[in-house]
Formats: sequence, structure tokens, C-alpha cells
Amino acid sequence: GGSNAPHACLPNRQERQRRFPLLTVSSFPCVVATSLQQDVSIHGSECAVFYRQEPPAEPLGFSTVAINYVYELTTKKRQEVPSPVPISELIGQLPVVQGRSRPIKVLNRLTVVMSEASPFVSFPLENRPNDAEYRAFDLLAIQPTTEKLFHTSCMLCEVDIICISVTEKLPFFFKRAPINGAIDRGVVFEVSYASALRDSTMRRYTIANAVCLMESCKGKNVIVSSAAEKALDLRGPYDIINLGALFGLSDADSKEAVSSTCRAVLLHAETRKTASGIVSTRKSQQEGLQDCVGS
Amino acid sequence: MRVSSLQKMRAGAEEAESSGYQRVVLKNASPHHYLRVRLVLEDESTRVSAVDLKTFITSCLRSLFGEVGAALNVDVLKYDEETLTALLRVPSRGLVKLWSSLTLQGFYQNQACAFRVLQVSPFLLALTGNSRDLQLD
Repeated sequence: GGSNAPHACLPNRQERQRRFPLLTVSSFPCVVATSLQQDVSIHGSECAVFYRQEPPAEPLGFSTVAINYVYELTTKKRQEVPSPVPISELIGQLPVVQGRSRPIKVLNRLTVVMSEASPFVSFPLENRPNDAEYRAFDLLAIQPTTEKLFHTSCMLCEVDIICISVTEKLPFFFKRAPINGAIDRGVVFEVSYASALRDSTMRRYTIANAVCLMESCKGKNVIVSSAAEKALDLRGPYDIINLGALFGLSDADSKEAVSSTCRAVLLHAETRKTASGIVSTRKSQQEGLQDCVGS
Repeated sequence: MRVSSLQKMRAGAEEAESSGYQRVVLKNASPHHYLRVRLVLEDESTRVSAVDLKTFITSCLRSLFGEVGAALNVDVLKYDEETLTALLRVPSRGLVKLWSSLTLQGFYQNQACAFRVLQVSPFLLALTGNSRDLQLD
């Protein structure tokens, strides 16, 4: 038989127009980040939530989705970190993962775009990812725009994902040393492909930057995600695996970039909330404790 | 001298093979790959004819891979205008090019579009059944 490309679950279109870049991941445990270009305060933006069409037109085949909030840092003034909208407000009924019986997982992700260490941000440079503002996000990503910050984020920062910019010529060249350091720590590099769908210049930048990255990191610890802003910007996982060949990845690396490396990122993100990945804490019921004390 | 020794080696090999069985290895025997794709458009009432689709695919190839890509022999074997689903055939060496150019195409005549690649196989018979739609009740 042939390889049937899996389908992705697209949420249904809803009456109220709230625009959201929602990326669905298939029975591949892929994390795809959609970028929500907006001001820091989410309430001012227009979002559209896409729901599965009736009848289910095309399940694209993903099992985990991440909604991305972009937070641009400037050193000029203090900005609020956006707080994520609870998932239940965005989507009523989560579509079921194709071939399984559980619904898809939707996570929140924060991408910090930085060019230098800012006095206003404590994280990620001081390694305090458990600040209240950042706790609400399941995944943390950083997009460095200078070489110095790239080096720092590879070696020191407590992030899960380092985004490679695809909308402009690379501002710096990749060096083997920080990249190997990041690979040892379990941090992954991300290339996004939605901008390549719009413009031929963007396409050139995407492919050029991705090829550059693959040469330096030899195809390890890479994820390919969509920064989709609407449902039509999504592509199925096998399409992206095929795209990996354009970026210089081998077949196996390409498939990993969509499946096992993404799962590794999710696990890495979960362990940030724990102590060395072993112990985690959770709020317990308070009444039980008081009863014990009283008696 | 060298040539004659090579010939002797080949002759020797042939003799050895003819005494027993013959092993035939087919590498990538299928000359074509078949794809079932569907074009999803923003405006769902747009009509796309088969000729339009073929022109569109050639332009996708040209925008990503240039004239060499556009020279690839893509055939539209079947086309359903209602659902905009097509069966394409492409030589195997051009599969990656065609597939990636369909993936990276975002616009059809100023409206957003997406190519959903439903099935890919080197054998046409395999496209008749889709195990992912199987209902096991």
C-alpha cells in the first residue's frame, strides 16, 4: 500500500470572529506553534477560532497544538507579559486525534523576541522560568536577533525552543560551539514555514536560513513548525516531512523533526516545572489538612 | 592488460552465475508516483477546470524550481470538479519537487489556498483504499 498522508483536524468555523493561529498536530505528537501577531495585550486583537467543519473535512493528523504569543522586548519601557487566554474559552469541543479516542492537546507557548539583555526582563537570562507570569505558558521560546544573545540563549537560558528568524536575512552566522551546547542541553531549534507560503522573497529567506541551520547542527534537534495565522496556512505532517528534504534534512531527520523531537520538547517543557525532572509539586486540598490539625 | 583481466573477471562471474540461479534486483521499479490531492480554497464556490488546475500546478513548479521544475511531466489523470480532487502522476525523480511546490503554494488568483495531499504511492492500485478511513466496528 502507499503512504497515506494523515489528515489534520481543523476546528469548526465559529460565529464570533476571533482570529487565532491554531495549528493542529496529527497523531504525530508534533508541536506546531502558530504566531499571533498582536500587541502585548491580547484583548485588543481580533481572533478567529477555527473549528472542525461539519462534516469533518480534513483531519490533518496532529495530536498536539500550541498557541503562540509573541512578546517583543524593547529596552525602552517595561511591557507586560501577555497572559494566555484559557483554552476552554477559545475552543469548545476539541477534535479527537485521528485514530485514537482522546482529544487533541492544546498548549500555550510564549515566544520572546529579544535583541539584547533587557533590565526589565528577569527571565530567561536569570534562569527564573517559574515566575508567575511565565508559569501560565507550557512552552517557552526565544528568538534572538543578535549573535551574543544567541550564544547566551544556547548555553544558559531556560528555554525549550530557539526560533530562527525566517523573514529576514540571517543577522549572524551560526557557530558550531553554541549549537552543540544547545543540543547537549536539549534545546531545539525551530524553523517555521508559514511565511514561505506568502511571498517568494520570504520563501528564499526561509530556505536559506534553514539550510544554514541544518549545516551547522547536522539535522539534530530541529523542529519545523507552522506559524499559521489561519487554517489555510496549515500543512499536513507528511507535507512538512517532504519539505525537510528541501531544507537539507535526510528522510529520517525530517520525520524526526515533526514527531520525536517535538515530543522531546514537550517533555523538556514539563520538566521545567519540576526539580531536576524528578519531583513536582501540586496544590493539595486545604480542608483535609485543617481537619487533621483540629482533631 | 587491465582490460583483458577485467573481461576475464566478468566472464568468470557470468559462468558462476549461469551454473546456479539468477538474482534480479529491482531498485525502485516503479517509474511513476501517484498523488491524490485536493485544492482547498478560501472562497469555496470558485470553479477550477482541469486545464486551470494543470496550469496552476505548472506555475507552482515554476515559481519554486524555475523552468527546469516546470518541465517536469506532471499528468492529471482524474479530476473531480465538485470536490476539487485530482489524481496526479509524476516521474519518481520529480516527486519531491512536485510535492514541495504544492506544499509551499499559498495563493490561487489572489485568494488563499492550500493543497491537501491525501495519498501518495508508487502504485496506482494502492490509492483505491485508504486505511485511515477504515471503520472497524
